Amino acid sequence: MSELKRIDPRGPRFGAAITAALSLTGFILSQEIWLYGAPVSILLFVLFAWSVFFPATHPYGFIFKKFVRPRLGEPKELEDPRPPQFAQKVGFGFSILGIIGVLVWPILIPVSFAFIFFAAFLNAFFNYCLGCQMYLGLRRLGLIGK
Amino acid sequence: MESNPALLSGAILLALALLAGLWLKFSAGRGKQVSNREVIDLSKLKAKKGKGQVKAFGAKATLLQFSTEYCGQCPGVRRQLTELEKQGDGLLYLDVDITERLDLAAHFSVSQTPTVFVLNPKGEIKFRVAGTPKPGIIQNELKKLGAL
Repeated sequence: MSELKRIDPRGPRFGAAITAALSLTGFILSQEIWLYGAPVSILLFVLFAWSVFFPATHPYGFIFKKFVRPRLGEPKELEDPRPPQFAQKVGFGFSILGIIGVLVWPILIPVSFAFIFFAAFLNAFFNYCLGCQMYLGLRRLGLIGK
Repeated sequence: MESNPALLSGAILLALALLAGLWLKFSAGRGKQVSNREVIDLSKLKAKKGKGQVKAFGAKATLLQFSTEYCGQCPGVRRQLTELEKQGDGLLYLDVDITERLDLAAHFSVSQTPTVFVLNPKGEIKFRVAGTPKPGIIQNELKKLGAL
């Protein structure tokens, strides 16, 4: 556990705020004609995939370090990076739902936006990590491995 | 102003998320009394403290925290309760990682971490809190047991 580089917990929350804004925009765009949300679905899919597979180079992290963190004070405490990374995987799962929507079944586009917005909003503004909370429950159901 | 249904549904989604957040803030970490008189079996719990396995409860009370590797709030609660253990009298604090021990999670119906149990000297569960405990809640229970 100690080998892992601990992170500033405000970083993932900052990213979640952007994700929340994007998914709410996508949700509104997709209301009248579902497929109008498609560009945002694809954008979210790319961003989530990026953070799942190459977290170190993600643009959210870059913007946070370059522009946001210098304006904040020192973090009160650092955090284990694994809970937010797991939450990103959950988000990635829901963004795949959006891509299925784009390709096959458009009603999944607003559905995927609604789920992503909910989780990202709670994370950014209430510091409540829905994905992390689901971890133990999903393990107990045997739906995910280690 | 003409109403825009798309914006309206966006506003409804936003309002729902806001309500959910406020509800979570309000309800998380409040805890509840436990009255089923279940006694923790230390030989099954296999809690570690320092070098060895824990064999006895605190003389007045025991705080038992369940954590997982992925839990973001657990280290903060651990620090807070370790501090409390120092101030307390006959108070023992235990932290058990249940990432690999889902049988324990299932047995005690732990669905989120951190979950904290307050045990009396016999090891009976008196109180449980899911999520980060609200300030003063654990202290209250410890005072009832005379451990603080």
